[in-house]
Amino acid sequence: MKRIPLFLAIVAVLFSGLLSACAGPAPSPVVIKETVPPVIQTVQVVATPVPKTQLVYNSYAGDPEPRKADIELVNMFKQKNPNVEVTHSIVAHEDFKQAIRAYLTSSTPPDVMTWFAGNRARFFIDMGTIMDISDVWQKEGWDKTYPKGFKALSTVNGKQYFVPTSYYWWAVYYHKPTFQKYGLQPPKTWDEFLAVCETLKSKGVTPIAIGTKAPWTAAGWFDYLNMRVNGPDFHINLMLGKEKYDDPRVKKTFQYWKLLLDKGYFIDNAASYAWQEVIPFMVQGKAAMYLMGQFIMDSVPKENQKDFDFFRFPIIDPSMPIGEDAPTDGYFAAAKAPHPEQAKQFLAFLGSKDAQTYIAKTLNRVPTRTDVDPSIFAPETLKGIELIKGADYVAQFYDRDTTPEMAEKGMAAFQEFWANTNKIDSILAQLEKDRAQIFASQQ
Amino acid sequence: MLRSNARKFQNGLLYTLVLALTLGWLLPLLAALVTAVRTNDEILARGFWSLPQRVTLGNLAEAWSRGGLARYLPNSFIITLPALAGTLLLSSLAAYALARFRFPGDRLILYTFVAGMMLPFQILLLPVFRLVDALHLYDTYWALIIFHTAFQLGFCTFVLRNYMRTVPGEILEAARIDGCSEWGIYSRIMMPLSLPALAAIATLEFTWIFNDFLWALVLLQRDALKPVTAGLATLQGQYIMDWTVIVAGSLEAALPTVVVFILLQRYFIQGLTLGAVKG
Amino acid sequence: MARIALGRRRTGHRINLVPYLFVAVPLLMFLVWVIGPMFYSFYLSLTSWDGVSPPRFIGLRNYARLLEDPIFFTSLANNLKWLLSFITVPVALGLGLGLVLNRKLPGARLIKAAFYSPYILSLIVVGLIWGWMYHPAGGLINSTLMALGLKSLAKGWLSDARLATWCIIVAALWRQVGYVMILYLAGLQSVDPSLLDAGKVDGCNAWQQFWHIILPLLQPVTVVVVVISIIDSLRAFDLVFVMTRGGPYNSSSVMANFMYIEAFNNYKMGYGAAIATVLFLISAVFIYAYLSRMFANELEY
Repeated sequence: MKRIPLFLAIVAVLFSGLLSACAGPAPSPVVIKETVPPVIQTVQVVATPVPKTQLVYNSYAGDPEPRKADIELVNMFKQKNPNVEVTHSIVAHEDFKQAIRAYLTSSTPPDVMTWFAGNRARFFIDMGTIMDISDVWQKEGWDKTYPKGFKALSTVNGKQYFVPTSYYWWAVYYHKPTFQKYGLQPPKTWDEFLAVCETLKSKGVTPIAIGTKAPWTAAGWFDYLNMRVNGPDFHINLMLGKEKYDDPRVKKTFQYWKLLLDKGYFIDNAASYAWQEVIPFMVQGKAAMYLMGQFIMDSVPKENQKDFDFFRFPIIDPSMPIGEDAPTDGYFAAAKAPHPEQAKQFLAFLGSKDAQTYIAKTLNRVPTRTDVDPSIFAPETLKGIELIKGADYVAQFYDRDTTPEMAEKGMAAFQEFWANTNKIDSILAQLEKDRAQIFASQQ
Repeated sequence: MLRSNARKFQNGLLYTLVLALTLGWLLPLLAALVTAVRTNDEILARGFWSLPQRVTLGNLAEAWSRGGLARYLPNSFIITLPALAGTLLLSSLAAYALARFRFPGDRLILYTFVAGMMLPFQILLLPVFRLVDALHLYDTYWALIIFHTAFQLGFCTFVLRNYMRTVPGEILEAARIDGCSEWGIYSRIMMPLSLPALAAIATLEFTWIFNDFLWALVLLQRDALKPVTAGLATLQGQYIMDWTVIVAGSLEAALPTVVVFILLQRYFIQGLTLGAVKG
Repeated sequence: MARIALGRRRTGHRINLVPYLFVAVPLLMFLVWVIGPMFYSFYLSLTSWDGVSPPRFIGLRNYARLLEDPIFFTSLANNLKWLLSFITVPVALGLGLGLVLNRKLPGARLIKAAFYSPYILSLIVVGLIWGWMYHPAGGLINSTLMALGLKSLAKGWLSDARLATWCIIVAALWRQVGYVMILYLAGLQSVDPSLLDAGKVDGCNAWQQFWHIILPLLQPVTVVVVVISIIDSLRAFDLVFVMTRGGPYNSSSVMANFMYIEAFNNYKMGYGAAIATVLFLISAVFIYAYLSRMFANELEY
C-alpha cells in the first residue's frame, strides 16, 4: 500500500523533530578570528582550579567599529577573570532600544547591559528593574576619579545605579573636499550657514544630509535650534515639562527649521533612510553636511575618515548662552540579574581606567574618568573636548533629557513637521496636549 | 465561423493578459533573486536596471555566516517540527471525539476550537507572555513549541473533524463488533484513513508555524534561539545599509518553505481547501 | 454507536467517558493557552500595569483614553483601508484568475503556482523584499521609473505619510490573491458542468452564465473568503512592523501594531490590552457570523 511509506515518513520526520527539541539549542563553540567577529560567542576558557561562573552581557554595539571594540573589551575582562564564562550578545543599536524593554521585565534578564545616562536610565531605575551599585562606586573609589557631574548623573535618591564610561559631542560634520571644491569655510553664524547652504544648493549638492527613519536624528536639529534661538535654560525647562510646547518661543524655533526645509536644504525623502545610509552620499560628494554625534565616524569608511571634520552648530543669537549636546553612555545591571557578583565585577572593570583608555583610543570617545592620560587622545578628540569646554551648558540630548514617553511624542511630531512645514500650529497644539497629560500623570 | 474566430481572438487576448500579469506577479521574486547576487555599491551607484558588472554569492554567504542564518534556520526546525507533531497528534484525538461521538458539550467544544482559530493574536499576547514567564519558559524553545501546539489546535481540530466525519461508519462498527477498543479504532483504522487530511494539514501547518514572527518576537530574547523570521528582523537592523544582504538573507530564509511547497504542493492546496471550502 | 458502559445511573442513562478522554488534553491545552488568555486580556484592559509591578484596577479609564488618542483613530482608519482592500481586490482578482485558469491552458499549473507562491513566504520575507522594492534610492520601483525617464513619479513610498499604508497593503495583496484564487479554483472544480451546458442550451452567453449560474454556486466559497479576509485584515501586524513600524509618525499604524507599541514599548500593558480587546470585539462580529453560518450548515446534516 502506498499509504504505509508515507505514514512512516511522516512519523520519522516528527520523531526526529521531537528528538532535536530534546537536544536543546545547538551549542556553538565558535573560534574567534580577529577579522571576522561573529555576532554571538560562547567561549570556553581553559580550566583553572577556581570554579567557573557565568556572566550574561547584552550590548547595543551593533555597528562595525563599536562591535569590534566591544568584543575586545570582553576579551580584556576575561583575561583578568579567567574563571568567568561570558555570554555576549550584540544587538543592532536601534533594535536594542526595543529589546531592552523585554529584557528588563522578564524573570531572567541579562546581567549587564549597555545603556544611556539620563532620563532613559532613570525610566528603568524608577521601575525598580536596575541593580543598586553604590557599593561598586564605593569599593572602586570612583568618587575621586569621576567628576561630580557624572556621579550625579548616575544617582537616584542618593544611590548609584549607573556606570558612565564615555561621552561624545554633537556637531555639524562636513566633507572637507566638497567645501574646498566650492571655496567654502565652516560657518560660525547663522547667516554664514545659510550662505554656505545656498552656494552648495546652487551647485547641485545637497547641503544637509540626514536619515530620519529612526526619528532621533531630527530631534538633534530641534535641540540645537531651540538652544541657539531660546537659550539652554528654556530648552532644559521644556525637557523637564516646565515650559509649554505651544509657547511662542518654541514656535520661533520651528520657524527657523521651516526656513531650512522650505528652501530644500535637506536631502529628499530623509524619512526613507536609516541615519547611516546617507553617509555614502557625503563620501560621493552629493551631500555636504550632517548634524550628528561623534559616532558618525564609526560608520564612515576608514579610507574616507580623513575627509571629515566638524564645526560648532552656528550661532543664531549671540546674546544667548551656548548649549551643546554631549550624551553620556555607560552600563548598568539588572536588579534581578542571575549572577550579581559577576555583574558587579564586570561593571567595575568597565568603569576602570584600562577599559576607558581602550575605548578612548579605539573609538575616540571622551572618557568620563579624570585620570585617563590625555596624550592618547586623537586630534579630533581634543577638538571635541574644546568644543564642549566652550559651551555654557551641556545637555544629554532630546530623548535623554525628557521622559521617554514625551520623547516618543516629540519625535513623532518632528517627523510630522518635516513632512508638513505648514502645520506648525496644529502639531505644537497636539504636542502640548501630550506634554500636559504626560507630565500631569507624573506628579 | 466569425463567432469562433472572435472567440479565439478573445481567448488569445485573455491569455496574453494573464501571462503578462503572471510575469508582473513574479517580478518581485525575480528582482530579489537578481539583487541578491549583486553588490550593494553597484546598485546604489547605477540603479537596479544597470547591467551587472559583478555577480557574487557573497551576500548569500554573508547572510548565512555573520548574518546568523546558519543559526536561525536550524532553530526554525527545532521549533516547528515538534509543534507540528504535537498539534497533529492532539488535534486528531479531539477531532476523533468530535467527529464520531455525540456527547454533552460537543457543539460548544467544536465552536470553541473554531472561534479560537479566528481570534486576533493580540488578545493573547500579554497573558501568554506572562504565563510563559511564570512557568520559567521565557526565552526557551519550549515556550514557542507549546504555544504553537496549543494555538494551532483550533484549525487542525476543525479540519480533521470534518474529514473524519466522511469516513463510512460501517468500517468502525465492524471493528467495534470485532472487539476492537476505542483507542484501537482510532489508532489502527481512523488515523491511517485520515492520512490524506493529515498530510495536507501537516504541509500547511509546517508553513504557518515556520513562518510565524510575532510569537518568536515576544517569547524569545536570546539571539541563539531565534527562528529565521525573528532572525531576519535582527538582520535588517544589522545590515541597515546593505539591502543586498537583507534580500539574500530573506531568500535563504524562504528556502525551506519553498522546498516543502514544491515537493508537497498537492497536499498544501488540499490543506487550504479542506480548511475553507466545505465540500 | 457503540458505547462503553461505565456504570448505570438510576435513570438508566449510560455515561460514555470515551469522547471526553479523547478531547481532554487538547481541550485543556486550548483553554489554558488560548481561551483563558483571552479572558485575562479583558481583565487586563481594566487595569493599569507596567509589566513589573502588580496590575492596578482602574475600570474603563483605558477605553476613555483610547477615545482621545489620535493614533487610535488613525489605526482604525488604516484597518478599514486594509479591510476594504482585502475584501475587494483578492476576491475580484482571485475569482477572475480562477475562472480563467480553470480551463486547460498551456502552463496553467505553472501560472497558478506563480500566483500562490507568495503565500508560502513568511510575511517577514515579503516585507523585506517589498521594503527593498520601495527604497527610494536603488529600490526596484524607483530604479525602474528613473530608467523609464519618469523621475517625477518616483516618490518616497514608505516614508510618505499619504502613501505608506497603501504601499504596505499592496504587498499584502500580492500575497493574498493567490490564496483566494486557490479557494475559488477548488470551488469551481465542484461546479457541475452539466449545469453550465444546460445554460448554454438555453442560450445564455458567457456573462449570463457567470452571473446567474457560477456566481451563485460559488457563494459558499465567497462567504468563507470574505470572512477570512476580514479577519486577516484585522490581524495584520507583521508587514507593518517590518516595513514601517507604523511610521512615518504613526501614519501607517494599525491596531495590532499600535497595541504592540503601547504594551511592549511604552509599558502601558493595560492600555495595550484595551486596544487588543477593541480589536477582538470588532473581529467577534465576524467570528459570530461565521459560527452561526456553520451552525446552520450543521443542521442540514
